[in-house]
Amino acid sequence: MDETDLRLDGNAVAGMLAEMSGFDLTVAWGACAGCGTSNQLGAALVYAHGMGVVACCPSCGQHLLRVARGEGRWWLDLRGLAWLQLDEQARIAR
Amino acid sequence: MGRLSWRLATVTDVRPETGRVVTLALEVPDWDEHLPGQHVDVRLTAEDGYQAERAYSIASAPDGARVELAVERLEDGEVSPYLAGELRKGDQLELRGPIGGYFVWEPDRGGPLLLVGGGSGVVPLMAMLRRRAAAGSQVPARLLYSARTLEDVIFREELERLEGAGDGLAVTYALTRAQPAGWTGYARRIDAVMLEEVSWRPGERPLAYVCGPTRLVEAVAGHLVALGHDPSRVKTERFGPTGVP
Repeated sequence: MDETDLRLDGNAVAGMLAEMSGFDLTVAWGACAGCGTSNQLGAALVYAHGMGVVACCPSCGQHLLRVARGEGRWWLDLRGLAWLQLDEQARIAR
Repeated sequence: MGRLSWRLATVTDVRPETGRVVTLALEVPDWDEHLPGQHVDVRLTAEDGYQAERAYSIASAPDGARVELAVERLEDGEVSPYLAGELRKGDQLELRGPIGGYFVWEPDRGGPLLLVGGGSGVVPLMAMLRRRAAAGSQVPARLLYSARTLEDVIFREELERLEGAGDGLAVTYALTRAQPAGWTGYARRIDAVMLEEVSWRPGERPLAYVCGPTRLVEAVAGHLVALGHDPSRVKTERFGPTGVP
């Protein structure tokens, strides 16, 4: 097994991202700050580790989003996203 | 959309599907009906407080408070040996969902539908086919399903029934490890030639859903795009390291 087998996609971390944001982020559109391509986050390539999650652009592979949690806090690195569009319809009931 | 809070579901039935896969039928209070293709997160808590969470696709069509998961037992798994080995009717299970609106299909999204699954990756595709049948949908659909052997094919009898209904579903198997005597179907992994033979022409603009182990999903999606299919109509869902069929 190598990194390929561990690569998932946005679907796999939908629950965690929803817990963090209150939205189903798999249907949210985001544009890569690197190559400019926009995709729904469900299509993002995801590496999930004990510390958190890295989501990468399916077109160029650059980091879009890094999320870590611990000690009652969420840490977000959003530098890889030029923009993110949240659909009000995708808000999730608590 | 679904609900985020963890809830207790009750196991109402446990049905073996293959030697390694069981269907868990669950009753979930206040369940918000799911869309075919969605999953739930399941959480197990050990006596010392250690928790393990996994995502499992829903296999059933929307049906009130009843939800069915099909779980493959992974020998070195942390969660699946319990779900697919020890859970019994009447037991309770902590879950949240339904989750994920990306890899979903409803009859009103149209088609033609191209479903490609590897191993237990067929589970969310089965929810789509069950929904299609329950809704009386005539959307033309093709399922290409890669499994190690015929015995590893999940939902085989039901797929035969669904295909026999004559409502526009065709099922094709690719058996990668062993084939029964006289097998005339595919006996190799899914490749570009097979996809060209089985799938719709790019000009027919199929909606494609590809689910299974990462390598299979990425190979299939790559072939489909290379064959000329619109990348925006090819949706993928990668399952964790469950062994490649």
